[in-house]
Amino acid sequence: MKNKLHDHAEIKSTPGWLGFLLLVLLLATLISCQGETPEGLLRIGLPEEPRTLNIWLASDANSRKILTQIYQPLYLRDPKTLKLVPWLAAEDPIYDEEKITYTVKLRQVKWADGSDFTADDVVFTGNVIKEFKVPRYSSKWKAIKKIETPDDYTVIFYLKKPTAVFLSRALTAPMVSRKEWEAVAAEAKTKDKPLRSLQNHRVERPLGTGPFVLKDYKGGAYLHMVRNPHFFGTGQRIGGHLLGPYIDGILFKFYGTSDVAILALKKGNIDMFWWGLQPGYLDDLTRDPDIAVFHNQKSALYYMGFNLRRPPFDDVVLRRAIATIIDKDFIISRILQGYGTILHSVVPPGNQFWHNPQVPHYGDGLNHEQRLKLAYDMLKAAGYSWTEPPVDPDGNVTKGKELHLPDGKPMERFTILTPPADYDPRRAFAGLMIQEWLRNMGLPAYARPMAFSALLQQVKGKRDFDAFILGYGSLNLDPDYVGTFFYSKQDKERGWNMSGYRNKTFDTLRNKQRGEMDRDKRREMLWEMQRILLEDVPYIPLYNPDVLEAARKDRCSGWVEKVGGIGSVWSFCTVKPIGS
Amino acid sequence: MDTPSERIYLFNRLAKGWAVFRENLMGKIGLTLMIIFALMALASFFTPFLNPMYDPMTGVDPEISHATGPSLRHWLGTDFIGRDIFTQLLEGAKIAFMVGLSAAFISIVLGTIVGMFSGYMGGVVDTLLMRLADMIMVMPSLLILLLLSALFGQLNIWLIVLLIALLRWPGVSRVIRAQTLTLKQRPFIEAAKVAGASHLRVIFRHIMPNVLPLSFLYMTFRVTSAILVEAALAFLGFGDPSQVSWGMMLQWVWKTGHMFQAPYWLLPPGICISLLTLSFYMLGRAMDEVLDPRLRKEEHSD
Repeated sequence: MKNKLHDHAEIKSTPGWLGFLLLVLLLATLISCQGETPEGLLRIGLPEEPRTLNIWLASDANSRKILTQIYQPLYLRDPKTLKLVPWLAAEDPIYDEEKITYTVKLRQVKWADGSDFTADDVVFTGNVIKEFKVPRYSSKWKAIKKIETPDDYTVIFYLKKPTAVFLSRALTAPMVSRKEWEAVAAEAKTKDKPLRSLQNHRVERPLGTGPFVLKDYKGGAYLHMVRNPHFFGTGQRIGGHLLGPYIDGILFKFYGTSDVAILALKKGNIDMFWWGLQPGYLDDLTRDPDIAVFHNQKSALYYMGFNLRRPPFDDVVLRRAIATIIDKDFIISRILQGYGTILHSVVPPGNQFWHNPQVPHYGDGLNHEQRLKLAYDMLKAAGYSWTEPPVDPDGNVTKGKELHLPDGKPMERFTILTPPADYDPRRAFAGLMIQEWLRNMGLPAYARPMAFSALLQQVKGKRDFDAFILGYGSLNLDPDYVGTFFYSKQDKERGWNMSGYRNKTFDTLRNKQRGEMDRDKRREMLWEMQRILLEDVPYIPLYNPDVLEAARKDRCSGWVEKVGGIGSVWSFCTVKPIGS
Repeated sequence: MDTPSERIYLFNRLAKGWAVFRENLMGKIGLTLMIIFALMALASFFTPFLNPMYDPMTGVDPEISHATGPSLRHWLGTDFIGRDIFTQLLEGAKIAFMVGLSAAFISIVLGTIVGMFSGYMGGVVDTLLMRLADMIMVMPSLLILLLLSALFGQLNIWLIVLLIALLRWPGVSRVIRAQTLTLKQRPFIEAAKVAGASHLRVIFRHIMPNVLPLSFLYMTFRVTSAILVEAALAFLGFGDPSQVSWGMMLQWVWKTGHMFQAPYWLLPPGICISLLTLSFYMLGRAMDEVLDPRLRKEEHSD
């Protein structure tokens, strides 16, 4: 400071051009000072901008990454045990079997603007979800008959019937404040399309109870969040973690491609890149002493699905034969470079309690030739024939030509839709390999990478497809989705049942397990459901990828690793800047 | 049709052209490069028979399941799932030739026909055809292809070829039209007309033989642009995913995160694209000299 004053004094006595030069120099130093990041600021790279800050519209990963720091649920999963721990709630809910009620006590929590979070806000959130039928949450809140609030910090949920998934699905929904949304909701209700109107409401300053509040958002450039002074968790020990947050804020920067983001990480322009890395980057990153690479499991299901509504995939034998030909070991060891696990059932094995290990494993452990032979035998027995069979009379495997369906007609060419390689190279490659394996068998398969939204439109909207490869990147740990994905009532436009699978026994089991409050009995049913599915193979489960992430060691420590990676509200509440 | 004297004339012309070509260093380099690439493309037909692991798309080394550098077994190394990069490079040469030559051929056929008609007929036909050519000429072909593939999902390689051809003929047609305009005024055309030749006969029998050398010259330049457009398209992720092209190889390097990790994978397709387009360009320049005596150096002119 003293020096600067001194400079100023001198400017007066020096010629004009020198003064100008000094001024430029001063400006330059000022600008470079601004470029330096304050210690407590965590800089995170995101692959894309959040599409929206409206919690009712947010369904893309990047919006949710921002909004989960703001809107909080009543219960949250403990990163280590994966059990639900009270978050906005003060304690575990009390279940009354006779009255079918859940009583939830709330913590003394404040919204980021300093006002109190009360039972009334919970009721309001519930009403919005129910009245507007908000897609993500309404199916889970449907079971509620009414919500009562004996006092400001107690909520009683009256259910229509016992619902096993109520706690894990409904009470993990984000809570919004009546203050922020009441007027918006009232106005939306008067419109022709209330839900659309609610979702199109432009949110500039989302009001939540989370550890951070939005300070500044420059579209296309950055999003800046600062610590919420009213955060209830500060100084508390929840789920074994002493919560901060210890950082002053988070700066989200957007990078279009992984290459640029990783360069930024290596140069120190960001402290963490919140996106799964392709294994190709690993060698380079692990060599960098300042970068830590985190390797975690995911709760995910990547699968190949068929359209059961029309031939030829309405034939279960053909589907089983295809499941036999697909070499999942190849996909894991080569396409995923070993960073993933094989899936045999629709519930990943990491979800130990619910995963049924005894479902049929098609062609497990066989090599390509053995798989072909096995599939050949299966199809031949079911009446399929070939112009040139893939197995010659001596039992040698050759390239098969033109498969004929049991009715004698040659199989028409069919497409396997996959996301494009620049969206997910793994699925695109898997599609390509599956195409080649099937062609060896004489099936006219064509893998067709398609822009993601067009692919969804084709599969989920128009239902105009033969087969596809898609995935669920973060499955809930409650396996209720098994029922949803294959429930015959979900076989409607934009419904979850994309394959068009219909099975009465399965539907009955699905409905029964939802009401079963005994965990072991419920598991029995879910195991049976998995077995039925894998007998019928409307989906062939393929793999469950691991998630690889990288962060700088020299800037902060204390990341919380959990299923799905290090990016979570837990991490942001516990990460500490280094050097403070 | 071909009288002996015509054949001798043609032979002489070719021999003379070849003599000029031989003196041209650029042409010789271009031709050598092109022959090397042609041999590579030919070789790609045989690699899978050597060993199934040398299949460019599906063949993987049973022992290698990640990107490795050059070795005896894999001269240029393997890609991330253990496929041989050299085999892919050979296959890429085949695709590049296929795309380049066929797109260029279609576009010069179109361009020549349109150019000849427009130049010979004149009037309304000329105006209409040339305004159409102008309209197509100003369209950015890469952008249009990107838009189309975004709209209709991934495009088939032959569709890409056709689209490139459809977007790239106007340049050729302009040149051919100019040439036709000068030919039209010459006495032999006049003579053919007086002798009662129909328009079609005049165009195809008398004008076409005189503009064809120019068309072929333009073909070499069109090949270059077709290869580049296809490579760019594939690199950006809009190529035909069931074909191993050089652009596709580059996309794989990029998307699997090996861009800065595996130079043995990144460089070969990049260098090949540059060299092959360069060879066609050099060939074109040399042909230019053969066809246009004014471009030749003093000492070579007779």
